[in-house]
Amino acid sequence: MDLVTLVVFGSWLAPALASAENADKDYDSAFEYDYESLRIGGLVFAVVLFVLGIVLIVTKKCSCSSDKPRPKTPDEETAVPIAQ
Amino acid sequence: MGYGRSDSYRVATTQDKDKKESPKKKGGKDLDDLKKEVPITEHKMSVEEVCRKYATDIVQGLTNAKAAEYLIRDGPNALTPPPTTPEWVKFCRQLFGGFSILLWIGALLCFLAYAIQAATEDEPAGDNLYLGIVLSAVVIITGCFSYFQEAKSSKIMESFKNMVPQQALVIREGEKMQINAEQVVAGDLVEVKGGDRIPADLRIVSSHGCKVDNSSLTGESEPQTRSPDGTHDNPLETRNIAFFSTNCVEGTARGIAVCTGDRTVMGRIATLTSGLETGKTPIAKEIEHFIQIITGVAVFLGVSFFILSIVLGYSWLEAVIFLIGIIVANVPEGLLATVTVCLTLTAKRMARKNCLVKNLEAVETLGSTSTICSDKTGTLTQNRMTVAHMWFDNTIHEADTTEDQSGSSFDKSSATWVSLARIAALCNRAVFKAAQDTLPILKRDVAGDASESALLKCIELSCGSVKAMREKNKKVAEIPFNSTNKYQLSIHETEEGNENSYLLVMKGAPERILDRSSHIMVQGKEQPMDEEMKEAFQNAYQELGGLGERVLGFCHVFLPEDKYPKGFAFDTDEVNFETDNLCFVGLMSMIDPPRAAVPDAVGKCRSAGIKVIMVTGDHPITAKAIAKGVGIISEGNETVEDIAARLNIPVSQVNPRDAKACVIHGTDLKDLSQDQMDDILRNHTEIVFARTSPQQKLIIVEGCQRLGAIVAVTGDGVNDSPALKKADIGVAMGISGSDVSKQAADMILLDDNFASIVTGVEEGRLIFDNLKKSIAYTLTSNIPEITPFLFFILVNIPLPLGTITILCIDLGTDMVPAISLAYEAAESDIMKRQPRNPLRDKLVNERLISIAYGQIGMIQALGGFFAYFVVLAENGFRPYDLVGIRLNWDDRSNNDLEDSYGQQWTYEQRKIVEFTCHTAFFVSIVVVQWADVIICKTRRNSVFQQGMRNKILIFGLFEETALAALLSYCPGMDVALRMYPLKPSWWFCAFPYSFLIFVYDEIRKLILRRNPGGWVERETYY
Repeated sequence: MDLVTLVVFGSWLAPALASAENADKDYDSAFEYDYESLRIGGLVFAVVLFVLGIVLIVTKKCSCSSDKPRPKTPDEETAVPIAQ
Repeated sequence: MGYGRSDSYRVATTQDKDKKESPKKKGGKDLDDLKKEVPITEHKMSVEEVCRKYATDIVQGLTNAKAAEYLIRDGPNALTPPPTTPEWVKFCRQLFGGFSILLWIGALLCFLAYAIQAATEDEPAGDNLYLGIVLSAVVIITGCFSYFQEAKSSKIMESFKNMVPQQALVIREGEKMQINAEQVVAGDLVEVKGGDRIPADLRIVSSHGCKVDNSSLTGESEPQTRSPDGTHDNPLETRNIAFFSTNCVEGTARGIAVCTGDRTVMGRIATLTSGLETGKTPIAKEIEHFIQIITGVAVFLGVSFFILSIVLGYSWLEAVIFLIGIIVANVPEGLLATVTVCLTLTAKRMARKNCLVKNLEAVETLGSTSTICSDKTGTLTQNRMTVAHMWFDNTIHEADTTEDQSGSSFDKSSATWVSLARIAALCNRAVFKAAQDTLPILKRDVAGDASESALLKCIELSCGSVKAMREKNKKVAEIPFNSTNKYQLSIHETEEGNENSYLLVMKGAPERILDRSSHIMVQGKEQPMDEEMKEAFQNAYQELGGLGERVLGFCHVFLPEDKYPKGFAFDTDEVNFETDNLCFVGLMSMIDPPRAAVPDAVGKCRSAGIKVIMVTGDHPITAKAIAKGVGIISEGNETVEDIAARLNIPVSQVNPRDAKACVIHGTDLKDLSQDQMDDILRNHTEIVFARTSPQQKLIIVEGCQRLGAIVAVTGDGVNDSPALKKADIGVAMGISGSDVSKQAADMILLDDNFASIVTGVEEGRLIFDNLKKSIAYTLTSNIPEITPFLFFILVNIPLPLGTITILCIDLGTDMVPAISLAYEAAESDIMKRQPRNPLRDKLVNERLISIAYGQIGMIQALGGFFAYFVVLAENGFRPYDLVGIRLNWDDRSNNDLEDSYGQQWTYEQRKIVEFTCHTAFFVSIVVVQWADVIICKTRRNSVFQQGMRNKILIFGLFEETALAALLSYCPGMDVALRMYPLKPSWWFCAFPYSFLIFVYDEIRKLILRRNPGGWVERETYY
C-alpha cells in the first residue's frame, strides 16, 4: 500500500510543481493554454490508474492461488485408476 | 454394392474390385451399409469350411506365397487413419469461418470505398484504407490466435496415440513366426495368449481357457470365454469369434483370421465414425444468427441513409461512400476477438477442471445440452469388478464398493466370515503384481481374472495380506475353473496345530456348490443343510442376481486325517478325493460398481433439466441395477416389466404411459420403427438401452436429435465412437478411453470423472449468458460511433468522431471490459433451470439489439455530442452556427473561416479543434461505457445484488480509463493518431449521461423483477 500512497501523492504533486514553474508567464499572450502541465497531469493520472489496475490483478492472483489447490486435491483423489 | 456385405464377403475379390472402382461415389451408401449389423458369417461355418474358404490349413497355416498374395489383395492389416484435414485448411477455416466473414466483407468494402475515393478525389482521406487494413489485421490475428489455441489441444490429442507396433504370432507353412501385426492376412493361422492384443478378427479353432476383454467393443465388463463352438447367430455374441484390437486376458487360443484391417468389426466402426458428418455447433448457429441480425441492421441503416443522402443532393459516388461507411461502422471490430478470448478463457478454466475441449466452439455446447446419452462401463462405473455383497450366516452383508473405501463396512466378527475369507483367498489364482507395496490396495495391478482380482482385493482390504495367508496354507493340488465343472477347487495344507492336515476349498456357480454341500456354516458352526436353509440360499441368490451382480458360491471341507494323512498324493485328473458332502460357507457377489461421484452428478443433471439416458452394450439386468444405483432410474419409478410383476399381470396389459422408466433390449430396438422409437424417447423420462450395438447407439443419438434435443454422448469404448462423433458434443474418457473414441470426441474428461460433465454444463451455460452480456456491451458503443457520421451527412456539421478514434474504442478501451464480463458470476443458480431452447433462446435477439442500440446507445450518443458541442463552443463555435458549416470547414483553401465571435480560423487550426472534438467524444464514450459495463454485468438482478466482486472488470475500468488518458495526453499522439490533450473539465461532460444510463437501467431491471412476465420483461429482457 505504501507504493499506492506514494504514487497518489506524486500524481498530485507533479502538476503542482509544473504549474509553479510557469507562474512567471506573460498573461497577455492570447489563447495560450498550459498544455505541458496538462499533459504531465494526464499522463500521471493514466499511470496511476494503470498501476492500480495491475495491483488489483496481482492481489486477485494471490487470493486465487490460495483458493485453488483446495478443490484440486479431492479431484485428484477421486481420479480412479483402472485395475486390470 | 447393391447387395449386402455378407454376400460380398463370400466373393471377396468382387467386393474388393468394387471398392477400387468407386471409392468416393458410394460414400453415402457405404455409410448406410456400415450402419447395418456386422456381416461376419464364419462363426456359423465349420472349421473345415473356413479353411476351404481362405485356402488355408488348420495345422500348416497359409503358404508364404498365398499370404503375400492376400496381403497385396487386401492391403495391410491396419485401420486407415481418418482423413486428416491439412493444417492450411484448418487455418483457413479459422480465417474465414463464422464471424470473420463479416469482418472480411467490412474490410473489402473499405478498400472499395478507398478505391472510389482515390479514383475521384485528388487527395483522398486515408480513413477507409486504414480501416480496411485494421479490419484485415484483426481477422488475421484472431484467426492465428484461435488456430494456435486449437492446435495446442490437438497436440495433447496426438500424445494419446499409441505408437507401439503390434506383433502377432502366426503359423505359415507349419512354422511359427512372429510378424508385425500389419502383415497378418485373412486365412492366417494366429496364436494368441493372455496379455496379447488380438491382431485380426479370428475364428477360434482351438482354445485353452481363453478369455477376452470385449469391453471396448461391447461394453461388457467381464472377460468373455472364447471357444471353437458357435453359440449364437449374432457374430458379436458368439463365442468362437475374437475381435481385432480386443485383449486376450488369459489362456491361449488359435484361430483363423477372417477379416483384417478396415474390414474387421472394429475397422467398420472406425470407418463409420470417420465417415459421419457432424452438424454445426449450437454456438456457431447462434453466431450465424447474430451476423444476420447485425447485417440486417447495417444494410437497413446504410440503404436508408444512401437514399437520404441522394435526396439531400449528394452525388452518387458520395452516397456510395456514405453507404459503405455506415455499413462498415456497424461491424463490431472487437467482437470477434472478444468472443474468441471469452471462449478460450472458459476452455482454459474447464481444462483446469479436467475437461479438455478440442474445439473452442464446443465449450458452450454442453451448456445447451438437453439430453446426455451415457455409456455405462468405464463412464458411470469404475470398470473393475468389486465385491459388493456377501451372504453368510443367513444374512446379506454389504461390502464397501466406493473408490476411496469411505463407505460403511460390515460385521467381520463372525467365524463364518473368517472361513469365507480364507476360501476366497486360497481358492484364487489372482496375485498382485510385484513392487506395488506402497500403492493403496485398490490401485494395485493384479494378474488374473477380473472376479478373482475383486476377491483378492476385497480380502486383502479386510483381512490383511493374502500372500501370508497363502504361505501358511500351501497349495498342494488344484482343479482350475472350466465351463463343464463350473467350479474351481484347490487343496491346501492346514496351519500348524490343526487336527486335519488338508483343507479343500471350492468356489463356483452357487447352484453347483450347493449341490455338493451337505452342511452349511452358521456362526462358525457346521449345521446339516435343511430345506429351510436351501430356501434362504435361493432367496439370497435371486436377490443378488437381481441386482445384476455376478454371484459365486464358496464351500470347504477339512479332509479327515485318517483318510488323507500328511503327504497324501492328490491326483486332480483321477480325482482321488471326495468333492461332495462339503460345507457351504457363503456367497459373494461382484459388480462393476458405479463411480462415487456419478449419482450426485446425475441428480444435478436432472435438476438442470437434462435427460440422462444410459446406452450400454451390457446385459439389461446389470444395466438396470447400475441405472438404479446412479439414479438414472430414480427411486420409485418402475418399468413396464416392474408394474407387470407387481400387479401380477402380463406385460402386454400394462399401459406403457404408466411407466416413466423403461429398459430396452438391443434386439427389440432392432425391430422398432422410427415412430415407435420417437414415442419411447418422448414419453419415457428414464431410459436404459441395453445390449446395444455401436450402430444402434448411433441410431439412438440420431433419434434424440430428430426430436430437437441437443445431445451429448459420453463413452470410452470403440463401440461408442460413432455415437460420439454424431452427437452435438462427444465426451470421451481420457484415461480408460480408446484412441478411436478420443478422436471422435469433442471433449475429453482427463480424469474419467462423469461429474466433470456437470462442470461442463455449468461453464457452458455461464459462458452463454456472459457472451450475451459481452455482446450487449460491445454493441452499445456502436451507436455513439455511427451517429456522428450520420449527423455529419444529415446536418453538415464537422465530423464529431473519426475512424481512428472509433478503432481506439472498439479495439482498445472496450476490449478488456468486454472480456472481463466472461468472468462474471452467475446471477442465479444456472443448474436449476431448464436447458435453453435452441429455437427460442437465442444468443442475440431483437431485444438485445433494442436495448443496446435503441436505448443505452442513444443515451451514449447524447453524451458524446454534448462533449463535442462543449468543446466547439469553448473554442468559439456555437452549436447552431455549426449546422451547414461542413463544406467550408473541410475546404483546405478556406483559411479565414469565422466562428460565432468573428474570430478567423485557418484550416489547420480548425482541424486541431476538430480532432480535439474527436478526442472529447472518444473520452465521453469511455465514460459512458463505464456505466454500460456495470449495467451489463446483470441481465435481471440489480448491481447491488450482484456486487462488484469481478476484479477483472474493475481492472478493465481502470485500464480503459488509463488508456483513454494515455491516448489523449501522451506526447506525439497528435501526430500519430491525431488525438489532442483535453482540458480536465471536458472529461466530466459525459458524467451525467453515464449516471443516467445507470439509473435508467436499474429502474428497467427493477420493473422487470417486480413484474415477471410483464411488458418490460417481454420487450427488454435479453
